Amino acid sequence: MTRRVALVGGGAARFGVRAATWAELVQEAGAALFRGVPNLRAADVDSLFVGAAEPERFAFQSHVAPLAAELIGVRPSKILQRTELACASGQSAIRSAYAAIAAGLCDVAVCLGVEKMNLPSMAEANTSMACVMDRPWDGPHGATAPPFFAMVAQRHMLEFGTTEEMLAAVSEKNHRFANANPIAQFYEKSFSREKLLKLPWIAPPLRLGDCSSMTDGAAAVLLVAEERARDYTDTPAWVLGTGQYSGFHNLAHAGPLTEWTGLTRAAREALRSARLEIGDVDFAELHDCFTISEIVEYEALGLCPRGEGGRFALDGQGDRGGSIVINPRGGLLGCGHPLGATGIAQALEVYEQFASRVDPRRQVPDPEVALVHNLSGSANVHSVMIYGRTAPGAS
Amino acid sequence: MSGPSRRRPPARSSARTEAPAPRVEAGPTAAERPRPRPSAEPSRPFLLDFFPLESAAATRLARFFERLRAGRLSTTRCPVEGELHWPPRVACPVCHREALDWVDLPETGTVYAFSPVLAGAPLGMESDLPFIVGLVDLDGVPLRLFGRIVGVEWPALAIGARVRVEPFAVDADRVFYRFRFVSNPPGPITPSSEQA
Repeated sequence: MTRRVALVGGGAARFGVRAATWAELVQEAGAALFRGVPNLRAADVDSLFVGAAEPERFAFQSHVAPLAAELIGVRPSKILQRTELACASGQSAIRSAYAAIAAGLCDVAVCLGVEKMNLPSMAEANTSMACVMDRPWDGPHGATAPPFFAMVAQRHMLEFGTTEEMLAAVSEKNHRFANANPIAQFYEKSFSREKLLKLPWIAPPLRLGDCSSMTDGAAAVLLVAEERARDYTDTPAWVLGTGQYSGFHNLAHAGPLTEWTGLTRAAREALRSARLEIGDVDFAELHDCFTISEIVEYEALGLCPRGEGGRFALDGQGDRGGSIVINPRGGLLGCGHPLGATGIAQALEVYEQFASRVDPRRQVPDPEVALVHNLSGSANVHSVMIYGRTAPGAS
Repeated sequence: MSGPSRRRPPARSSARTEAPAPRVEAGPTAAERPRPRPSAEPSRPFLLDFFPLESAAATRLARFFERLRAGRLSTTRCPVEGELHWPPRVACPVCHREALDWVDLPETGTVYAFSPVLAGAPLGMESDLPFIVGLVDLDGVPLRLFGRIVGVEWPALAIGARVRVEPFAVDADRVFYRFRFVSNPPGPITPSSEQA
């Protein structure tokens, strides 16, 4: 019998182009965690999971888990490890901590995600991003994320008549939510659809506003065994289920670009383990690394029929007042996408939404169930978690 | 063997101005060919260079690059499972047999999807901007390969365009492959024509 696991709070460093090093971002997230969970003492922490995608390339640093432990002032006695799954490295840390706590291997685990992506040379940063692909086979052609997702958008436009306006609708919504999120890279910066449609091309049909940014950031959350939850909060977010699917890696095996069956499978498993259906989800943090990603994700999750994700966005069905709120945090588009930190910041958003502690302009009314999704690489891996405000098995 | 340096001079359009690709002739084997002058220093550190090391001292797939140098794009196939691999492998992912066959791949194919890259190039590729990458369905085999598409400007390229495989010299020692534009499908250019 596994134990129930609760997320009981956390904190985040400001996301953006930061005048701060990798190690400084870690310290900021640690400080924010201890401020966000006032009852937490360093000695309580028995485990640390560090989500970090490419510290070797971005910060010239390996063996980062013990470094992070020292930087935030904890001495893990049960489990100390780094998790790497590119853009899903943060959620990987949480899934690992969840598994370990549920299995009884540890009780109080910090999950800290971090990435320092802005380097003096943008080309060097782009080089690091390209290493996420099959480097010796896809990399030499210039395979980075924008051209892959541009191909997805191109096919979606061809097959279903999706338009640039539909892409811009996703970006406008997520930037508007980020406008009300003080840690977001684009906090207090507004983008109308008209403005977004005039931004320069990066990889047509994707413009600058269709792409999440190279972002420095860090975030941390605390996961604990059920019997410790009330030590730290009155409003725990319970892990209800999780699922994951890895379909391919080399781009030759991507299959139909507009149909992300890996996400459908991962979400089905996550919802099955939570004993819920997609219609039970009140809001979702989806991996909008590009506008087209969120559109294909609507479809893969069954929020709308295949091919109608663009219309779903244009009609505001993923907005407040729509059928489900998507990315009230501001998404990767609005918050920026520090690879290892993103999944942690999404989970922190779930905790704060459940506690009704976020800016009213992005607060989801009385949410009970949330879904968090990360894709990684070329949407070849999908990772999903389901959280609930009510403990699993409780009535 | 000599070829153009990867560091081409900056050009408004690499597709229009680049020199014809070196025609890599079938000929002497690696052992017979005069050894290229070993580069004392690589052009950039290994961990900042996307192109793989190709010699038999570095990889068990050196034969792939040997055949490519002779103008043939090839891959491995499992004699038991019959499935073509991509990329070429040293062990079958289904039956895990290590003795695999080498087969040549078709030289032509059709563009399934493509993306112009106008910004955000990795190190060593900045001077290539703008460039085009795409996924190409090779004729007659169930393989869809990713690669550069050269010989066309992006607003003029359409899904369904015909391309052919083109080996090219990376530097004095190494070769790689790309696709050269042949023709667009009949009819209006979609969906990128409206963006021209």
